[in-house]
Amino acid sequence: MIALLGIAAVNDADFFSSIGKIYVVVAVIAIIFVGIVLYLRRLDVKATKLEEQLNNGKT
Amino acid sequence: MIKGAWWKYLGAALVLYSLIAGMLVPLGPGIDGVSPSALQAGKRHTITVSGYNTHYGEGEMGAWLRLSAKYNLAAESIVVVDNRKVQLTFDIPAKVPSPDTVTAVSLIIDHMEDGLSVLPQAIFLTKCSPSSEDAPWRLEIESGGAEYFHFPYRGRLAETIRNTYYHVPLWFALMIVLAVSMVQAVKYLRTRDPLADQKSFGYASAGIVLGLLGIATGAVWAKHAWGAYWSFDIKQNMTAIALLIYFAYFILRSSLSDRDLAAKFSAVYNIFAFALLVPLLYIIPRMVDSLHPGAGGNPAFGGEDLDNTMRMVFYPAVIGWILMGLWIGQLHGRIRSVTDRISLLSSK
Repeated sequence: MIALLGIAAVNDADFFSSIGKIYVVVAVIAIIFVGIVLYLRRLDVKATKLEEQLNNGKT
Repeated sequence: MIKGAWWKYLGAALVLYSLIAGMLVPLGPGIDGVSPSALQAGKRHTITVSGYNTHYGEGEMGAWLRLSAKYNLAAESIVVVDNRKVQLTFDIPAKVPSPDTVTAVSLIIDHMEDGLSVLPQAIFLTKCSPSSEDAPWRLEIESGGAEYFHFPYRGRLAETIRNTYYHVPLWFALMIVLAVSMVQAVKYLRTRDPLADQKSFGYASAGIVLGLLGIATGAVWAKHAWGAYWSFDIKQNMTAIALLIYFAYFILRSSLSDRDLAAKFSAVYNIFAFALLVPLLYIIPRMVDSLHPGAGGNPAFGGEDLDNTMRMVFYPAVIGWILMGLWIGQLHGRIRSVTDRISLLSSK
């Protein structure tokens, strides 16, 4: 994955401006997706903490 | 099944629709570039035009240099290289009906299938002799092109015009979500209901998420439309300040260990933060020059920025992202509320 990003970075000018700059749109959608996944992860961590607290309360 | 969640499904469906329609509708034909772009008046020149999504090889076409709506110069000859390349020859008279010696003209191509495409300020005419004689220029163009369903081609934006459906709605959603957060803060100060405080916190969190995504997507778009990730454009700077103001909200909240005090202070701060958000995002950027659309006047967005095909994707995307933002905010607020109640129980 990192190697892939590296290749994209090296050919940045060609890659992102090819096919009418469509990959800029792809990058924007990818950023939104990654951002929402990271946010979901955060909420998941919070929910896990709550579950642990509840379980500790029972025992 | 999530209870009472029709609007959440609606939000997700509208965002999905904007993703599909926004990516599948093709971009209209347009003029990508012209070379050379500076021509000396009084000579015969051949220019090479490269098109985008064009079909120069399939059907008749006409080409003109446009000085103004009334003054157009027709091409002497049109040689099609392929669907995306055409060579135009113009006999440019020395006398140009313009007061300047260097004059910018637009290139207009009317194609039977593609319709009208315009490249504004495509060519600079040098060494013009200003004149009121306008014989070869006096020409009005009638377009006979067909109309297809596609998004408009706007020069260097090219396909990135689609980002209008993914970057801009984030900011609409941010505004609504932070407004709800502010309303809940007011409600907390009036009723001292901890639930209102927890909701206010949840919607503010959603606003931060939308804001960070908005800044990041905007930076990537700016890199390829304006040339730099951050060009210190007024709107970029003001949104960064607005986000920093909201970061301080979370720092203020977490720095006070007394729960009631934290809720009270952050509710008051939230109201001031929202009062600053409106001028930072919507008033100051309109008063000065900006790379963003809508600089120096009203409306902030609209008019030439959107056409009817874009509106059919843009407005659903805005509604969809507002609903998604409210969903995220509600979820975060509920988790906050449960966290507070559990820690209250365990402390008893």
